[in-house]
Amino acid sequence: MEASRVLATNEGVDLVRRCRAGDGAAWEEIVSTFSRRIFNLAYRFTSSTESAEDLTQEVFIRIYKTLEQYDSKHGDLANWLMRLARNLIIDDYRHRQRNPQNTYAEDVDDHTFHLRAVGGNAQNEIERRELAKQVQEAIDKLPTDLKTCVILRDIEEMSYQEIVDALNIPEGTVKSRINRGRIELAKILRRMRILSL
Amino acid sequence: MNYENEKIINCSEFENSLTDYLDKSLDSKNNKACAAHVLRCPICHDLLNSVKHSIVACGEIPAPKVSLSRLEAKILARTMPEFEMRCEEFEENLTNYLDGFLPATVFHRWERHAALCNSCENLPGEVVRSLATLVSFKSDEIALPEGLHNKILQQTIGTIEAKTKKASIFSQIDEWIRGLSIPITVPQLAPIAIMLAFAFFVITQTASADGSVSGVYQQSFELAQQTYKESSKIVLGDKLLINPASREPVQGTYVSEENKK
Repeated sequence: MEASRVLATNEGVDLVRRCRAGDGAAWEEIVSTFSRRIFNLAYRFTSSTESAEDLTQEVFIRIYKTLEQYDSKHGDLANWLMRLARNLIIDDYRHRQRNPQNTYAEDVDDHTFHLRAVGGNAQNEIERRELAKQVQEAIDKLPTDLKTCVILRDIEEMSYQEIVDALNIPEGTVKSRINRGRIELAKILRRMRILSL
Repeated sequence: MNYENEKIINCSEFENSLTDYLDKSLDSKNNKACAAHVLRCPICHDLLNSVKHSIVACGEIPAPKVSLSRLEAKILARTMPEFEMRCEEFEENLTNYLDGFLPATVFHRWERHAALCNSCENLPGEVVRSLATLVSFKSDEIALPEGLHNKILQQTIGTIEAKTKKASIFSQIDEWIRGLSIPITVPQLAPIAIMLAFAFFVITQTASADGSVSGVYQQSFELAQQTYKESSKIVLGDKLLINPASREPVQGTYVSEENKK
């Protein structure tokens, strides 16, 4: 599977224009460029392949329907699209937390970590998968608000202001949740013996 | 050699003079006596060597390493307990410390707490290692499930053969027209544009009855022509014969009451 590529601003504008006109190839290019990134973000929140898959489809359906609203003056396509995807995924996550009956499977899916091989032997690969699974479990143990902020800041690498805009909460609250989330995550990882002293 | 004046000492006397002998502070006679005794007595010879080694070994003992920051923190905690930081406050400021955003006063209190508090001293290191684990974790992207790509295409454009779905010529033209726009890129020009529009409106309403730009020019020419004719007749001495009708103001122009008379 090829990694997500970066679209130039004018390339994004052209793709959207072609999509609006009904060009299937242009839409396919948008899907293949962003699907992996959106699926991974969805997985960080849901911890389930099936749920992340469903959520990714919903996100793309929503993007397809709102392509008319895209205006290049408000940022390039990647920013607009990922902002929309994040908002939808966060809304879904918050909704599930408020309605526990809709919560996805608690345990991290064993079959989901098909990590990219970056060299090394099979043993290393198994260890990497196991570590990734444990880290995901540790993230899942964080309270909802802290988990959201930690994912957006330390995995999605969003700025404080971007998180403020995405969550619609004051900057002080964002900073406080990131701080508390990091501390709690470190303590959880220590208890799970993932962090060596 | 003359041995008659040589001083001879026993082991006890040698031991009493040992330190002075090593320090080379004995007078010549006693120094020679000690040296002679060491040569003769194997026990005192061994003693001398042992003492020499002990002195060297003592010199090689490193000075006790005291953490000055910890010591300083202890002193300040004892002397100025009001400036101590609580564990909760320490945790609240952890990210700001790592980001380098702590003001100097809080920074020093934070570091003192980190040096002294047994329950907090490992926390900064754990958080840093936790963040490093997340960096490794996020670089391990999960592969896209088989068939997801096609599912998305099917649900959005109704087919997985995206390339077969072409844009119609009308929708292409429509998009092309949508793409055409003449944006005012400099907002500061907007007032100037309004002033120009207003000026155009005023001029066309006062100088030209029909409100057109061409009307303004046309009536300007007529006025100029009429003025020229009247002036030339006065200069040439002709009787001013002006058709009263021709003295009527051109429609849309202003003529004062004096001129009417």
